[in-house]
Order: sequence, then C-alpha cells, then structure tokens
Amino acid sequence: MATRNVTRYQRPWIIAFITPAMTLTVIFTLVPAFTLLSYSLYGWESFKRGDFVGFANFEKLSNFPFRGDFIGAFRNNVIVFVTLFLVQTSVGMIIALAIYRIRHGKKLFQAIVFLPVILSLVIVAFMWKLFLDPLFGPINSLALQFNLPWLNQPWLGQPGLALFTLIFIGLWRWVGFPAIVFLAGMNSINEEYIEAARIDGASEMQIFRKIIFPLLAPSFTIVAILTFIGAFEWFELPYVIGGVTGQPGGSTTTMALLFYRLAFGTVDSATVDVGLSSAIGVILFLFVGIGAALGSYYLRRREVQQ
Amino acid sequence: MSTKLSKAKEHASGRTPFAPIDIFLRGALVVNALGVFLPIIFMINSSFRNGADIYTSPLALADGIDLSNYRLVLTEGKFTQYLLNSVIVTASATFIVLLFGTLAGYALARYQFKFNTAIYLFFLAGLLIPAKLALVPLFIQLKNMGLLDSRIGLILVYVSGAIPAAVFIFTGFIRALPADLDNAARIDGASELQVFGRVMLPLIFPVTGIVGIYSAIPIWNDFLLPLVFIRDTSKMTIMQGISVFFGEYGANWGALFAGLTMAALPLVILYVILSSQFIKGLTAGATKG
Amino acid sequence: MKTRNKLRHLIASLTVSSVALSGSVLMAPMSKAADVELTMYSWRVEDKAFYENVIKNFSAANPGIKITFQSFPSADYQTILMSAMAAGKGPDIVHVRAYGALDQLVVPGYLSPLAANEVKGLNKYPVDALNSQRGFSDKRLFGVPFAYQSLGIFYNLAYMRQAGIQLPPSTYPEFIEQLKKIKAAGLQGLANGGSTHMEQMWGTIAPMFYGGTEFYNDVVAGKKTFTDPAFIKSLEAVQELFPYMPANATAVNYDASRALFFSGKAAFFMGGIFELGYFRNQNPKLKFDFMATPPMTSNGKQFVSTWADGGFGINSKTKARPEALKFINYLASKSFGVPFVQTVAQITAVPGVSIRDRQLQKAVRSINEWGTPYIMLVGFRYKNPTGSALLQTGIPNMLNGTKTARQVADDVNKGVGTWFGPFAGKI
Repeated sequence: MATRNVTRYQRPWIIAFITPAMTLTVIFTLVPAFTLLSYSLYGWESFKRGDFVGFANFEKLSNFPFRGDFIGAFRNNVIVFVTLFLVQTSVGMIIALAIYRIRHGKKLFQAIVFLPVILSLVIVAFMWKLFLDPLFGPINSLALQFNLPWLNQPWLGQPGLALFTLIFIGLWRWVGFPAIVFLAGMNSINEEYIEAARIDGASEMQIFRKIIFPLLAPSFTIVAILTFIGAFEWFELPYVIGGVTGQPGGSTTTMALLFYRLAFGTVDSATVDVGLSSAIGVILFLFVGIGAALGSYYLRRREVQQ
Repeated sequence: MSTKLSKAKEHASGRTPFAPIDIFLRGALVVNALGVFLPIIFMINSSFRNGADIYTSPLALADGIDLSNYRLVLTEGKFTQYLLNSVIVTASATFIVLLFGTLAGYALARYQFKFNTAIYLFFLAGLLIPAKLALVPLFIQLKNMGLLDSRIGLILVYVSGAIPAAVFIFTGFIRALPADLDNAARIDGASELQVFGRVMLPLIFPVTGIVGIYSAIPIWNDFLLPLVFIRDTSKMTIMQGISVFFGEYGANWGALFAGLTMAALPLVILYVILSSQFIKGLTAGATKG
Repeated sequence: MKTRNKLRHLIASLTVSSVALSGSVLMAPMSKAADVELTMYSWRVEDKAFYENVIKNFSAANPGIKITFQSFPSADYQTILMSAMAAGKGPDIVHVRAYGALDQLVVPGYLSPLAANEVKGLNKYPVDALNSQRGFSDKRLFGVPFAYQSLGIFYNLAYMRQAGIQLPPSTYPEFIEQLKKIKAAGLQGLANGGSTHMEQMWGTIAPMFYGGTEFYNDVVAGKKTFTDPAFIKSLEAVQELFPYMPANATAVNYDASRALFFSGKAAFFMGGIFELGYFRNQNPKLKFDFMATPPMTSNGKQFVSTWADGGFGINSKTKARPEALKFINYLASKSFGVPFVQTVAQITAVPGVSIRDRQLQKAVRSINEWGTPYIMLVGFRYKNPTGSALLQTGIPNMLNGTKTARQVADDVNKGVGTWFGPFAGKI
C-alpha cells in the first residue's frame, strides 16, 4: 500500500511529518528513561548528585532495612496482580456474557458497566476513603444499623485486610474494562457457529465452554497484559488512601509507592534518596517491560494454537 | 456441513434461548448496576448536606438540594480555576497529539523508506515507558528547561506520553486505507502536504475521535504529574486540586463530597451523551473492533 | 516596486511606534518598579487567614513590599518544598520545620544562614529553641523559631459527667479508671484512633514510662538503646489504651479522631496543644479543656513532651534578601507574637509575649515545669529511616497485632542504628 520508491522530493516531507512526534518522544520519554538508569548508578544527597557508585544503590536495596520494604512491596504487587487478574477476568467475563445474552438494553448496560472506568482513580480513591471511614462512613454505619458484624470491620486499618480493600476498590473501578473487551470479542464471533451448535443440541454452558471461551483468547491476552502492567505500577490508590507510607503499617506499599517515597520523601523521613529510588525505578521498568513482552509472546502463541 | 450452516443462518435471527444460567447472569448485571449507582447517589446526596450533620448521622437523606457546599468548592476551593487548567492542559495536549500523531502515522504508513520499521518499533517501545517511573529525571529535566511549575511543561510531557499509542493506532488505520486516492491526487499535481491535508485527513476523521478520547481521558484524570510538577495553585489541574482541597477542608465532609461530585461531573456528563464513543475510544487497540 | 515601498513603509512605521512605546514605558511612574514581591510557603493550612492578616499589617508598615502566602497540606509540605527548592523556584520566605526536616534543606544549601545581628532580639530566644533551627553538621542558624509545642490531654468534662465523672484525673491510674467507667457506661473514652499520627499519642504518655530527659540524654549518647525495658514499657502503655479507643480503631485516622472529639462524641483526645485553635474553630460551641499528662502517683514526676516547632527562614536564592530579612524581623517581634497567641492560640517563641489564654497558659507552665524533649522528633529525624517513621508504622502494627512491643522496639533500634553513630556495636 505504501508508495514504493520514495522520491527525493518526498523525503523532506517525510522528515517533516515524523520529526515533531519523534522529537517529543525522545526528549520527554526516552531521555528521562535513560537518565533514570544513570541516576541509579550515583549517590545522592537530597537532590544534589554525588559520586558514581556503580551498583551500590542496588546493593543497598538488598540489605536491611530497604530489603524488607522492597520485597514487601513486590509481594504486594504480586498479590494485587493475581487477585485482580483472577477476579477481574471472571467477573468481567460474567458481565460480558450477561450483556451478550440479553435482548434489550445492551447499550444501556454497557454504559452502566463502563461508567466507573472513566472516573479518575483519584476521585474513586477519595470517595471510597470516605465511605470506608469506620466512624463516619456509610459502610460501617450501615453495618451498625442493620446489625451486620461482618461488614463492621476496620477495612483500611487491618494490615492484611487493607490491601484487599484497595483491590476491591480497584475492581469496582476497573471491572468494566475487561467486560467490554470480552464483549467485543464475543460480538465478533460468527453467530452461525453458535446456532449450528444449538441445532446440534449443545447446551448454553457447553456453547460457552467450547466455542465462546476459546475464541476469546486474544481479548484474554490483552486483558492479561494490561492487568499485569497496571498491577505492578499501582500507585494512585495506595497513595491517596494509605498515604505515602502505605498505611496501615506499610501494608499497602507498592513498588511505585516505595519509589515515589524514596524520591520525594515524607514529612517524617528526613532524607530523600534519589539513587535508591532510581534503582527501584530501573528494576520496576525492566520487570514490567520484560514481563509484558514475555507474557505477550507466550499468550499470543497460545492464541494461534487455538 | 453447508446445509447445517444455512439452516443455522435461518435460525440466527438474534434469538438467544433462555437458559437457567441467565437468571444468574441477569442478576449479576443488576448487582453491578446497583454497585455502580449506589455509591454515586450516596456521594451526591451527602454533597447536599452540612458537614457536621454527616458526622452525627452518616446515612441520613439530605433535606433538599442545598448548593452551599458547591458554592464553597467553586469559590474558596478554587475549583473553577482548577477546572479551567484541566481544560487548557487536556485540550492543548490532545490537539497536539492528534496533529503530530496523524502526521507521523501517515508518513510511516504510506512511505516505504529505510528507517520505517525501525521508527515504528521506536514508537512501540515508547508505549512501554510509563511517565511515572521517569519522574525524577523528568523533574530535573523540566527544571533545567525552565518548564517546571508551568502548564506548558505539563502539556509537553503528556503529549510525549500519548504519542506512541496515537502513532500506533493511526499507522494501523492508514495502512488499511487504499492508496489509490493519494496517488490520484499526486498525479493531479498535489504536493505531499496537500495529499495529506485534502485526501488523508478526511479519511482519518472517524478514528481521530477514538484516538482523541483515548488520549484525552487519561490526561484529564491524571494526578501524579501535576502533583510533582505543579506548585502554584493557580496552575493546578482538577485532580490535583481535589487532593489539595481534601487537605484543607478535610473536616467538612459535605464540602468533600461536593468537591468530588464537581470534579467527576464534566466527564460524566460527556459520557452520558457520548457513551459509545467513550467506550470505543478507551478500549481502542484492545478490542480490534 | 510597489510592494517594496509598501514594505519599507511598514518597517518605518513599526520602528517609530516601537520607539514611541519604549519611550512611554520609560516615562511611566517610577513607584511601580519599586514594589518588591516575595512569596512565602507554609504547612499551616489552618492558619492561612491569620498569616495573610499578618502580611497585610506588615505591608501597611512597610510599603513597597508585597508578600504572597501559600499553604500546603502538612503531609505533602516537605515534598513540595524540597522539589520547589530543587527547581530553584522556592519561596523567598520559608516556614521551616525544626531539627531533621530543617537539616534536609540545609545540606543542599537551600537556606540562607542568619547572622546574630541580622535579627533584632535574637539573643533573647532560649538556647534550645535556637538550636532547633541549626543544621545537624552545619551549626549556623537558618531560621527564627516560631512556636513551642507540647503534648497533653484534651478533655470534655460535660461528656465525662454522663458517666458520672466530675473532675479530670489527677493520676494516670485514675485516668485508666475513668476510661473504664466511661466504656462501661457505653460511651466513648478516647477519641484517638490507632491508624495515623500514633507517634503523637505515644509521645503524650511515653516519657513517663521511659524516664524523661535522662533517658533522652542516655540514648543520644549511646548509653542506652530503644530496646531498654523502660522504652518497651512506653510502647505497651499505648497497647493498654487500645480497648478504650473507638471501635475499629485500627482504621480510625487522625482527622476522624479529631472530628470525634470536636463534635463532642468522646471524652479525651491525646495530642498536641496546637489543636487548641483547630478545635475552637471547628466547633466554637464545644466546651473543653487541656491538661498535662497526669503522673503515676499524686506526688510523682510529670513529663510533658515538648519541642520547638519550626521557624521562618530565607531562601538562599532569594533576589530580595534585605526585604525578606525585614519580614523575618517582623516575625521575630511582638507584632507577630501577640496576634499569634491570640488568634492562632499557639505558644509563640517570641520572647516576652504574655499569654492570657487560660489553656495556653497551662501548656506553657507544663512546658516550663515538666518539659522533656519529644524524643524522636528532636533527636532522631536526621536520616532515613527516622525514629518517627519507624514508630508511625510500628505502633499501628503493634495495635493490630502484627508485631509485639518488643519487636517494634527492635525495629526502631535497627532502623535508627543504620545511621546513628552512637548505636554502633550496641545493637
């Protein structure tokens, strides 16, 4: 489809068309990314760069006390990813199937399901932070009024519980996205196959298992990769709700939060450690990049096999 | 086989037979709808109430539509300024993304030249780099350029973040368009720029909306970049403004809920009108459809 | 031909008009150019109106100097200030914190040192207050102290009477007894939750358990560490108060705790005297009082955690240091100190200001008689991880059952030990 040989006349135009986009991307995306790598190799005093220290920052991360923080944060990200992935995918699938199967009101329910997705995470986070306040928020008040002790918990106070509460909030906001992606995938399935199966006497469940689900493999891949990237870069929710120190007790610290904390400090922490935080940034970036690439490759191969 | 398919075609009149599972599925939709609406309704209800009242009876209904909290939010809470800044930043950034993105996408899709694939992959790689992590270098870079605490700096960073995806989508879309019209125009003596402007742009139009939404909404909703780069309250965007507001008025829950509602309103209103475009736009690239 | 003439005309007219314009600019009244504009940052969002008033009064007495005041939420302040300074766009006048947080600004040279003769009346400030405004290694003075704070217990007698209690507790065991009684009556004893700002609540009672200033001196010298049994006891004391905290205390944060108290729904709030103005503002109708933490026995030693809360400093990159200095002098004078006490209801560091507010007077007396350094803030916020940060995560973990008091003390030791010299070899 492209013109075959680029004439000398066309060449300056090509350069002119591509340059603006490329320049911006280089200056504000690529250069900072490489600078991050170089920052991680230096020692820092507040925002003053010190001497070249090689991998000393990375070593610092593997020792007390930062090692515990880092591994804890990583663990949290893994929990977030696994939970989000399992629950989001299943609930998303259920909702997509539901919308796919109803006769009327498809557009309406699509819009309803997707509504939280367009809300800013900041709005969602602050909103739920107020909702879950045990003294004045509606959740615990409802629990007291209707005598539901299981609902009357310190949702954001108990370390184990808090992270899952955050995951719930994340789910509330994001489940519409996989739902729509799966729905689009379902809509692109040729109805004739399904009808043929019905004529053959297949039950609806069998149709779902044998036809719909396998054909959703590409949607599945995309949801998986996006969930992976999102889960490991989780920042806004823990920052707004748990604060920069990952309250309660640091249990909601994610790697991005740790990175931010070390880069910009908190009111109680005396120093900022740009070198350490850059080291975390580098590790996170490599991990997400390689993970996404590998995952994408592996999942796509499975798609083709389907 | 073919007879079965043709029989199936007759049957395929969109009638999905009702199965027991549908009770569960429809129930799930209802639960989801409740889960979406109840929090929002509660938030709006509380925004009409007095803060002290909320402390005493968190679940009560508002006495009526009392807009005093909203007045506070817009005036002392400076929300009009924040909203204006968000509009400026988002609109400018989206416009630039569309402009640069279509140009680059067109060049990559239409011209076969030596570095074509390399540059395409370059943009693809740009997709993987989140602005989040390059925060400190970006901070220092903007500082050296004198762009710290400025909306322009913010716009430039947003643009560079959104361009890779835009280029990706535009390139894909344009590649699928037949080249006949371009070539015809060229034969007619049109310059390259005219080919782009007169022939290509109108054809790209449908996907421009999608890319526009895909780029604009994350920018409007973003919180982290203004948090780090903008200090001057007169330049803060709405999402950053909420966080400042919560810090200042943290004890007045009525005002807090009003602030949240106010911040969510613009996008929600647009969404109600353009929901299918929003959905298509935000899932672009993910749905291939 | 024609176009070239036209062009020449255009250039000519432009030149003429630009000369005319620049001339008129030069002719403009000189007074406009003399206005010096300064900016000031602070974390006291609650006192914004007050500071703007102070500035108004100052500008009236010093025409030609305009100051813009900007406040930021306390939790973000240090971050915002640091990044603004790093960008070279910091405020001319900086409301700085003390000790470690100040040092963070001193080390990269963001603040301009103040010479003794530059601020009138500097020699009348107490030595401790001035020292709180010096760097850790760079011992020059970088700020003029602005306030003293102390920790104590706010109480709502009207609420307590509902449980049959007529007077505030005179000893600590009596305090616990009253809490028990209030709980038995189905009422709320402590407003404090167990989630954020735990260092504050701990600091209200801790010195009484760990041994006050003696212990502080011992730790700073490295003779004792935080795993000393007395210190562990101070942590356990907070644990003992847990049953009297609100339901789901581990999720009740600082703002909610304060709201619980000022909306009259709890008997006691353990915290800083700086809440005085805040409570009065939020609920002018509330009748409450403030007391120093009661001693263990009726003749026992009393301890009140206290510290110098910060000061006002000058940005080293300011373009108007003389004017900024004028304002600093104003802030070190009674013209600031007196309204500070009256409006904001805090204890000013400006020497010689008489305090007529009854509750503030109580606090000042308690500082003078029983003051002891608020240990982590004063001594252990210089490097990462700070003693404060370790307690802020450690105490909630103790309350929610993840760690024991002993483990928290261990964590504090290990964390602080990574940078605190005197601990070397002892932990």
